[in-house]
Amino acid sequence: MTRMSARIADLRDPEARLRALFDQGTLRLLAPRDDSGVVAGRGAVDGTPVIAFATDATRMGGAMGDAGCRRVVDAVDAAIRERVPVIGVWHSGGARLAEGVLALDAVGQVFAATVRASGRVPQLSVVLGPAAGGAAYAPALTDIVIMSDAGRIFLTGPELVRSVTGEQVDMDRLGGPEPHGRRSGVVHVTTRDDASALAAARGLAALLGRQGRLRVDDVVEADLGAFLPPEPDQAYDVRPLVDKVLDAPGVELHAGWAQNVVTTLGRFGGRTAGVVANNPLRLGGSLDATGAEKAARFVRMCDALGVPLIVLVDVPGYLPGLGQEWDGVVRRGAKLLHAFAEAVVPRVTLVTRRAYGGAYIAMNSRSLGATAVFAWPGAEIAAMGAGAAVNVLHRRRLAAAAPEDREELRARLVEEQAEAAGGVGRAVEIGVVDAVVEPGRTRGRIAAALAGAPLARGAHGNIPL
Amino acid sequence: MSDEIRAEMVANVWKITTEVGAEVNEGDTLVILESMKMEIPVIAESEGTVSQIAVSEGDVVQEGDLIAVIG
Repeated sequence: MTRMSARIADLRDPEARLRALFDQGTLRLLAPRDDSGVVAGRGAVDGTPVIAFATDATRMGGAMGDAGCRRVVDAVDAAIRERVPVIGVWHSGGARLAEGVLALDAVGQVFAATVRASGRVPQLSVVLGPAAGGAAYAPALTDIVIMSDAGRIFLTGPELVRSVTGEQVDMDRLGGPEPHGRRSGVVHVTTRDDASALAAARGLAALLGRQGRLRVDDVVEADLGAFLPPEPDQAYDVRPLVDKVLDAPGVELHAGWAQNVVTTLGRFGGRTAGVVANNPLRLGGSLDATGAEKAARFVRMCDALGVPLIVLVDVPGYLPGLGQEWDGVVRRGAKLLHAFAEAVVPRVTLVTRRAYGGAYIAMNSRSLGATAVFAWPGAEIAAMGAGAAVNVLHRRRLAAAAPEDREELRARLVEEQAEAAGGVGRAVEIGVVDAVVEPGRTRGRIAAALAGAPLARGAHGNIPL
Repeated sequence: MSDEIRAEMVANVWKITTEVGAEVNEGDTLVILESMKMEIPVIAESEGTVSQIAVSEGDVVQEGDLIAVIG
């Protein structure tokens, strides 16, 4: 019994967690250990300097008081001064009730420090246990939230929920990896255990903290065209294509949420890059309110942290319907327009198969200031699909045709319409596509375009849209 | 725990690719819908046994309609 609890206490020990996060032997505490409930230190992650802090779950459930919060604020401010990533390891029941309003004020100062650092240094959170109340919002304000199988994030615990609303829920259903990984979008990465959560944080801190230089000569071509299915109306999973566009498979953020849009961080030509892609496997790849919001937040994070973007477009349009309109597809879709239009990082678009209507504009089009727009041969860029356009433009003519001739007429009109309006040649002619590139020569063209653009970084925070 | 698979959008049910009693893994295609001129696979979000298929080929489903139950 005593040996068992000693081992459990050991696993939750904040210093042990920081040691597991950093390269071996590199952890130096920022302050001696005390009873504040927070341990903070500096160290290296893959050789990159990083600052981190961890709440002490072995003490009052990791509750945050004045002294502990001050230590977090100091750690975040040190990271801003030194321009290094900061990682928070969370396992905390929230503010220390015994300290009353003093604790609330202290927690509020943690929020303020996190917002101060937002967009200036990469901020990551690793949630390894319950993170409630104030301990829920602190990670939520950071760029990326990673949750292990034991992680839980919620504002009010099961007891309070039961007494107020009568709902019977446990912590897992309230705020575990399933709800936050699939439904709420609070968590970017879920992992099977603590060790993989810390490993994921290491990988992302290295990607964002040491971005490297794009070496165009190191970019080798790949047979990217093989990832598209033979038929134009067939669905496919875009993720293997995303992985192949990058040097090696990257880290997908929000992989289980709004899956019609894929957002992945990885390396391209050795340099950190972000990929935004429509995924035809989900909702036919159409944009919806949630997907647009997910992409917008990713684009703004990359812009604030100086990460160039590669945008892979295969989008049939915005998802129509009452649900979408009431869900605020206009307001939330507007976020994606704003995010791309304001972004100053190099950002290259590739239309692989189709780009229709408003969704064409939203996916980093020329009009929103794309660094370069490429398209594969045969890509369709149009106000709407040829079939739908014919139904609108030739409604009367179709209605007037004899029923037995109608389908033949429709087929001919669709073909004419596709050539006249949607052909990629027309898009090149009017300058919204810079060049038609072969799939097998795409990586080099993207590399040249990214390398030719000035290195810039958006001067804004990363509000969790 | 049973997992209800619901339609994410208005669509026609084009093809049913599983059957009641079938063992499925996460990522397996259960039904293929047709909407926006695209084939849209409906995918199992968990592994288990298909205990119900609530649609037939040719049906029109609305957003939120039950398609299948796993578990």
